[in-house]
Amino acid sequence: MLSGLLWIPIVGATLLGFWPGSLTFQQTRRLGLVFATGLTVWTVFLFGQFDLTQGGLQMREFMPWIPMLGMNYELGVDGLSLPLLAVNSGLTWIAIYGTGEKLIRPRLFYSLLLLVNGAVAGAFLAQNALLFFLFYEIELVPFYLLISIWGGPRRGYAAIKFLLYTAVSGILMLAGFLGLFWLADLPSFDYQTLQSQVLPLGSQMVLLLTLLVAFGIKIPLVPFHTWLPDAYTEASAPVAMILGGVLAKLGTYGLVRFCLGFFPDAWSALAPNLSIWAVVCVLGGAFAAIAQKDIKRMVAYSSVGHMGYVLLGCAAATPLSIVGAIAQMVSHGFVLALLFHLVGVIEEKVGTRELDVLNGLLNPIRGLPMISGLLILGGMASAGIPGLVAFVAEFLVFQGSYSIFPLQTILCVVGTGLTAVYFVILLNRTCFGKLDNKTAYYPQVMGWEQTPAILLTLVIFILGVQPNWLVKWSEPFSYQLSTHTPQLVSHWIPPVMGKKLENTPIMIAEDPLL
Amino acid sequence: MSHFLLNTVGWIPLYALIGSLGALPWSPGVTRKTGPRPAGYINALMTLLAFLHSLGALIAIWGQSAYTVEVTWLQVADLRLGIPIMVSSVTLGACLLVTGLNLLAQIFGFGYMEMDWGWARFYALLGLFEGGMCALVLCDSLFFSYMILEILTLGTYLLVGLWFNQPLVVTGARDAFLTKRVGDLFLLMGVLAIYPLTGTWNFSELAQWAETAQVDPALMTWVGLALLAGPMGKCAQFPLHLWLDEAMEGPLPSTILRNSVVVATGAWVLVKLEPVFALSPTVHWVVIGIGLVTAIGGSLVAMAQIDIKRALSYSVSAYMGLTFIAVGCGQPDLALQLVLTYAVAMALLVMSVGGVIWNSITQDLRQYGGLWSRRPISGLSFVVGAVGMLACPPLGTFWVLVQLADQISVYYPWLAALLVGINGLTAFSLMRVFSLIWGGKPKQMTERSPEIHWPMALPMTILLGFTVHVPMLLASWNLLPDFQLVTHPVGILLIISNAVGIGLAGLIFLNERIQKPLQLRFITDLQDLLAQDFYTQQLYRASVVWVVDWISQAVAYLDRVLVDGLVNLVGVLSVFSGQTLKYTVSGQSQLYLLAIPLGVILIILVAFGSI
Repeated sequence: MLSGLLWIPIVGATLLGFWPGSLTFQQTRRLGLVFATGLTVWTVFLFGQFDLTQGGLQMREFMPWIPMLGMNYELGVDGLSLPLLAVNSGLTWIAIYGTGEKLIRPRLFYSLLLLVNGAVAGAFLAQNALLFFLFYEIELVPFYLLISIWGGPRRGYAAIKFLLYTAVSGILMLAGFLGLFWLADLPSFDYQTLQSQVLPLGSQMVLLLTLLVAFGIKIPLVPFHTWLPDAYTEASAPVAMILGGVLAKLGTYGLVRFCLGFFPDAWSALAPNLSIWAVVCVLGGAFAAIAQKDIKRMVAYSSVGHMGYVLLGCAAATPLSIVGAIAQMVSHGFVLALLFHLVGVIEEKVGTRELDVLNGLLNPIRGLPMISGLLILGGMASAGIPGLVAFVAEFLVFQGSYSIFPLQTILCVVGTGLTAVYFVILLNRTCFGKLDNKTAYYPQVMGWEQTPAILLTLVIFILGVQPNWLVKWSEPFSYQLSTHTPQLVSHWIPPVMGKKLENTPIMIAEDPLL
Repeated sequence: MSHFLLNTVGWIPLYALIGSLGALPWSPGVTRKTGPRPAGYINALMTLLAFLHSLGALIAIWGQSAYTVEVTWLQVADLRLGIPIMVSSVTLGACLLVTGLNLLAQIFGFGYMEMDWGWARFYALLGLFEGGMCALVLCDSLFFSYMILEILTLGTYLLVGLWFNQPLVVTGARDAFLTKRVGDLFLLMGVLAIYPLTGTWNFSELAQWAETAQVDPALMTWVGLALLAGPMGKCAQFPLHLWLDEAMEGPLPSTILRNSVVVATGAWVLVKLEPVFALSPTVHWVVIGIGLVTAIGGSLVAMAQIDIKRALSYSVSAYMGLTFIAVGCGQPDLALQLVLTYAVAMALLVMSVGGVIWNSITQDLRQYGGLWSRRPISGLSFVVGAVGMLACPPLGTFWVLVQLADQISVYYPWLAALLVGINGLTAFSLMRVFSLIWGGKPKQMTERSPEIHWPMALPMTILLGFTVHVPMLLASWNLLPDFQLVTHPVGILLIISNAVGIGLAGLIFLNERIQKPLQLRFITDLQDLLAQDFYTQQLYRASVVWVVDWISQAVAYLDRVLVDGLVNLVGVLSVFSGQTLKYTVSGQSQLYLLAIPLGVILIILVAFGSI
């Protein structure tokens, strides 16, 4: 059943790539959409089959492959991977739908996009560390091509940078897996075997740090993030959407699955430092975004900050904060996709991304009112305004982490304030202001350019109003993971915080009015 | 029927939200044939429904005890979030006030926005505000109050930014959003921090908890201060008050609501949180202090404004400061009554000057004069609004303020004296505005300034009638104090303060012999200080804005030069070493053969060396 998610896109990619006859653009796009729709339907079907009472793996598939290496074709899905699979399928559909006639070499483009989708789905589904590594590396090459063929002017530099960083990340990850395999002397690479390790804390720590750097590059966390602004900015809108919305989630997925899941003891020993790291990411990303002059770069930097919340939630490792972290992965995927799509449309129509040049796009006749309206909504969603999905995720992370890391949580709340600052800068310059009459002859925004944004907005809005539909999938999983992790107590705030004092008389009785 | 109305109280916010969505199809880019006006009519109709529903439900609940209905919203891990809907005569009365003022403001908007193309956005946002405010008063939960306040912050941003072509509007919208957001985020911190202590966010349960709570006062001080910041931002209290002044760049019909009920959302949350604030004496004094500073500062600054709307907006801050004082002194009920009497009067004042601004084309007080003969109805409305807002018997606010001053004077006579002084200052500034607009001789801009047409005149006169009847409303709620309070020293002092304020302003501003605009020769600096709102904007710019800007520049620089630079350096070095090394490749096999043993020896040396 799960194999469908893996093989539908690969078959699609092969068909699109190697179909002998010639296809027009619309035919190619329609064919791509057929596969993407099939995937989405399949994902919805999986949601229907998913058992909400179980925290463990479900719908497992097993096929021996290279047993002597401990590598087998093992798939499974749980509360962590299921929502991410939905993001993967949904965003691929939207990325394919949102491409227009101007696209060069459409067959290669769609085929690579589907290939990436299949590899990412494989990584989310894999229950074997080597299999995960395999898919993690497979995704790399098509993505390198996606950036370097369809990107902006500096696409070569950005693509190479992305390739090198991710390759290093892959090597470190492999080193971590092999180290764990050898040190703990385990029979195979499947997750449950790896999880059963009983290494001394010292070796656990070394392996954990290796994997943390590996996934820290992918997510990315400060200071491993410098490939991100270049890659996100140079990639075309649909590619950036997948890159930020889906590929970065491989990193956060690895963070939860491997770092937190495999090394719970080392993790909780390291957690206070991780929470500080999270604060550095949140504040660093937000401050760097404020200083940007290019709206796409600004959105790219917003991503660094938002990934910090995931780290914070994982560091606290309470059931609530883990649910929040997973919800944040999903919500960030949708919100970032929306923002990249809208920025892409603006760049396409107006011809610039410069904050100092853009102006007055909310103008109802000559501007881009619909796109600007949705951009306001997307920006506000990213800034964590309630009623939209990002708020729910951030709030769960904050509420879940507060009892463990009060100070760090409060600093992350400050981060959402700074997010509001740069989005207000972006919106004020882009949507508000007076449209320059001399230059305002923009091409019309077509229906197919608006539809992806409207769909994403609906998702963001509906999940924000009805968050149960987002969080219920990952709740049992989070409970299970949290009980495996040694619970932390607050380190950084004097113990009086969060503790009710016993038998202390209240001292306000003397004041007559109070 | 009454059962039905009570069971469906949750619909009251929904009417407005439906209206809000229904307005959007009349955006200029979407519907081209009908023009934008149906957006307004739909909203007014939905608001009327909400108003009637509130009215019916209020009649049904009259005399019965309050109860709460809970709707589950989110259940995850150990967190269970239900939306508690509080049905009581107070909440439904507040709904009635909100929907009623909304209806009047929307009808006023038909006239005021006659020539505007932005009806769809404007009415959609008014609907959002109405729905949000009704939801706020109905819900009995700190968490949902926080959510609603945040959404209304976004609403303020968009509503102030309605005329986004103008630079002042753009900066005003930005500052309104960010200032309120600062307050909201502190509130969020408080919301996060209070849950581990109480296990609930419901106001009524929080109040119960606070009665018996044994918590560290130092902790409660921090939590209380964080919670306080939300209402501070909403109520435009010092130092988060600047946004209200800049928000005056927004369209006037929304100003009617903003000045009267939107700012009062903060006061509402403040009142609800009063039991929590009571746990820490420090917080109580901070509440009083902020209220006092804002009330005095606001009424002083109001006197020095030359923009009509701004002159009123600082009085808004000042009166919200009075509600802070009331809450700080442990009189939350009086705070709510003050909000009621104040909101009605302030809405009337804004409507009255709004009509004047509309066809006199200017907001500059210096260009006005002599309108009494031309616009008597507006003038009368202003007078009634002013009397209703000041502690002038027999209208509403007097009865509230006199009780407040009476209660306070028992313990803190100085505070009561300041209250009287604040009333005098407000009397002065309202009389100044009145004299400058309606008194004196007509000037160029007011030569041809006839009374407004019915969409603006009708709501204004209805509200005029209502303002006059507010004391009867208070009486029917049994909220009117003993009439003998009038002759009580505090009552007499309040009446005298009115007389002094009004008289002094009349003497100065109705006197043709005094040169206007008034130039105070010896205290020009003071005048500038007040006119510039204590240079708050400059202070912001020199402090918070500067710091954030500086840090972000520094971070971006570090990011570009240090982190990315290091990465690029590694790249350049590897290319360089490759370039250099390639010249060592000569093709002679001896060299390679030599290299192998050399390498082996090196490795052995390193290996043994390390042992």
